[in-house]
Amino acid sequence: MSKADNQAQVIEAVHAARADRSPFEIVAGGTRRGVGRPLLDSKGADLALLDVSGLSGIVKYEPEELILTAGPATPLGEISAALGGRGQRLGFDPADWSRLLKSNGTTTLAGAASSDASGSGRLRHGGARDSLLGFQAVNGLGESFRGGGKVVKNVTGFDLPKLVCGAYGTLCVLTEMTFRVYPKPQYSAVLCLADVSPEVGFAALRKIAHSALEPAGLAYLPASMLPEVGEGAALIKLEGARQPLEEKIALAHGLLAHGLLGNAMRRIEDDMFGAIGCGEKFADLPGDVWRVMVKASDAPRAARELNARYWLGDWAGGLIWLAAPPADAARIRAVAAGLQGQAMLLRASAESRAEHGLYAAQPPALAALNRAVKAAFDPLSLFNPGRL
Amino acid sequence: MLLPPTDATIVARRAEIVAALREIVPHGVVADPSGLATFDSDALSAYHQMPLVCVLPSNRGQISQILKYAQEQGVPIVPRGAGTSLSGGALPREDGILIGMGRMKRIIEIDYENGCVVAEPGVTNLNITKAVEANGFYYAPDPSSQVACTIGGNVAENSGGLHCLKYGLTTNNLLGVTMVLPGGEIVTLGGKCGAQGGLDLLGLVTGSEGLLGVVVEVVVKILRKAPVTRTLLASFDTVPAAGACVAAIIADGVVPAAMEFMDRRAAEAIESYNQPGYPAGAEAILIIDADGVEADVSHAVSRVTDIVAKCGGKTIEATDEKQRARIWSGRKAAFAAMGKLAPDMICMDGTIPRHTLPYVLEEMAKLSEQHSLGFCNVFHAGDGNLHPLIVFDMMKPGEFERAEEFGADILRLCVKVGGVLSGEHGIGVEKRDLMTDMFSTADLEQQGRVKCAFDAQGLFNPGKVFPTLSACVEQGHIHVHGAQLPHPHLPRY
Repeated sequence: MSKADNQAQVIEAVHAARADRSPFEIVAGGTRRGVGRPLLDSKGADLALLDVSGLSGIVKYEPEELILTAGPATPLGEISAALGGRGQRLGFDPADWSRLLKSNGTTTLAGAASSDASGSGRLRHGGARDSLLGFQAVNGLGESFRGGGKVVKNVTGFDLPKLVCGAYGTLCVLTEMTFRVYPKPQYSAVLCLADVSPEVGFAALRKIAHSALEPAGLAYLPASMLPEVGEGAALIKLEGARQPLEEKIALAHGLLAHGLLGNAMRRIEDDMFGAIGCGEKFADLPGDVWRVMVKASDAPRAARELNARYWLGDWAGGLIWLAAPPADAARIRAVAAGLQGQAMLLRASAESRAEHGLYAAQPPALAALNRAVKAAFDPLSLFNPGRL
Repeated sequence: MLLPPTDATIVARRAEIVAALREIVPHGVVADPSGLATFDSDALSAYHQMPLVCVLPSNRGQISQILKYAQEQGVPIVPRGAGTSLSGGALPREDGILIGMGRMKRIIEIDYENGCVVAEPGVTNLNITKAVEANGFYYAPDPSSQVACTIGGNVAENSGGLHCLKYGLTTNNLLGVTMVLPGGEIVTLGGKCGAQGGLDLLGLVTGSEGLLGVVVEVVVKILRKAPVTRTLLASFDTVPAAGACVAAIIADGVVPAAMEFMDRRAAEAIESYNQPGYPAGAEAILIIDADGVEADVSHAVSRVTDIVAKCGGKTIEATDEKQRARIWSGRKAAFAAMGKLAPDMICMDGTIPRHTLPYVLEEMAKLSEQHSLGFCNVFHAGDGNLHPLIVFDMMKPGEFERAEEFGADILRLCVKVGGVLSGEHGIGVEKRDLMTDMFSTADLEQQGRVKCAFDAQGLFNPGKVFPTLSACVEQGHIHVHGAQLPHPHLPRY
């Protein structure tokens, strides 16, 4: 294992890897190493590691500009503490999967962005791709380059920050990242509509999603995931200053008044959305854990066809989490494909991840384009090869 | 402006190329000079070039065949939406096929259940909103040219607008595209569920200025119209006070739907043009929109009013919808109002860190003196996106060149203070040669390799965005007089 604590050392490490054509795995907090295809060399041995955990720390935080620049390995906890002190939060809702994956270590900024790990807040705030403004990195030629900028509005050149998000470290070694941040709402409330079927629950959530209430979270949990709620519960998270929040709650009741659903809705104290977004509800359940993205209106059908005992729907139905036996992998992929959705295999054995990959295989032309773009950054395929 | 040299061998084969395109699109090939003249420029009207030929396909199959043919024959391609680009993104080539997307203007599907619209690229931005507004929805990005500009062009330029402070640019409101790659293959990136199952190529393609392929279908998000919108007009005795107020509003946690800045010169020109009722004598004016549910808006308005007072400003609130519209109509007429001051103008577009605003304004005033040209400032203050308008007279020898130099100096200033060359208009040909001021060779080479991953032969929109350093020939400017923008009826802000 080699270690790179600054850009110059990253460049050195890439040149060394180029010289003997030896790919490596990029590791900072290490909490997401168990996601995607296992990284093995041609002889089936684990790849060498490049430890970049030293690329950590907030470089510049400008609350008035709504901008934060930090080392990619900065722990998310450190970032939210700094932002929270000024009443702000990251532009996206990063999800910490470490409990779900039972991984030790500290979850980092680049870890969350590179794995496109967004929690329930994605519905309202978008993903990491919507708030990463710019970055500095080292490509597979051992050159330092930048993508994007450090201002909130920028269309200068190709939008490389989008590519870096969700690329699982396959394009470059990040050395610095600049994110947009937002004011943090002062108050929040979670409303629970109990004892509703998936059809009724998801319909209620879509109604709120397409209102002017700007909800921060919309999830449906069946009885298997949340006892004492009858058939299942629709959860609605609203945010705002004190008075506006009260108005939004009243409006939510009004919107669901048809069929008297509004009356059955109660405010609850437990904000489950943190746990939902991080997949913690599945941490102690056996089996593989999947995130299946479908269009929100297909959520009840997806839940039915996926036919898992343990599942829940986030993003108003656009994301179905589920736990299933490893033997179900092909079936789950087929259901997702039938709904024009995408099934991501998040937690599984190394064998299963090697066999099924993180995502379903892409159509040939798209797969070729993905390979060509990867090669444009990393022609020798040195960085996390095959993970995506 | 230097563009890659024309390939005379392609021009010599014009008749053959026209015939081949007619085989593919029997009733959609424009080859006569008067027909082609319609397409010889976009809204960067100082640059003109007749295309080799223009083809107007009606479906993706035709586009696929055209691109396959072009690649086999090595003929450059320039895609064009409505031609409203302010950076010359759709400027044709003498040796290139111009693909006009105007015939593909169907809205394919409105899906309220999933809050999205599926449309062909030639649909105008405003027509998307019009298709859904009866049900209380709208499409959020609102570039000023929205009555004319197409959604495909918006994707190419990653267009913004007045309300992107709160609602984002095109890229944040686009769920998917289907595109034809150079060579003719068709791929779909994203879609209603948003998932791509690989690299975020959708994000890459958005704002790629026609360098990577031709978009043939889009899926965009639609949002529920906010039930309440209120508009405030804040006036200040000094520019730094207005700048400090913008920073204080942002830092307070209020996210206005729009926050616009105008300097005295702009406000006075506008006031004399269409009398929106801007306070006389103010050195700087902010127009601030708050939208949302009633209580949210009340909260925002009271916070903003307090902050403005603390910063030494005065606030007026529009009392009704009519006054609201009047305040905004002034802002939207900034271009036309400046046209009263001089026959010609160019609109620049850079973004700066907001705290550098007072310094940047001061430096711009110095540059104005240096170049002996007038200018004024309108500015999307909320997100730091400057639109200095430089006024000049084409008929006076050397003024256009001086105006371009002044504009380039402003953009260099933006980069110097930590900003960027373009906030929403794109690079095109206009700012191409400034890319080296912002990016290192390694940065540009990295972007160049990404381009090659899509377009190995470099046939798509050559000469745009990236400086071409070798073997360039000069292409003449054509004189335009009388501030005649190609779309004079469109507001520009």
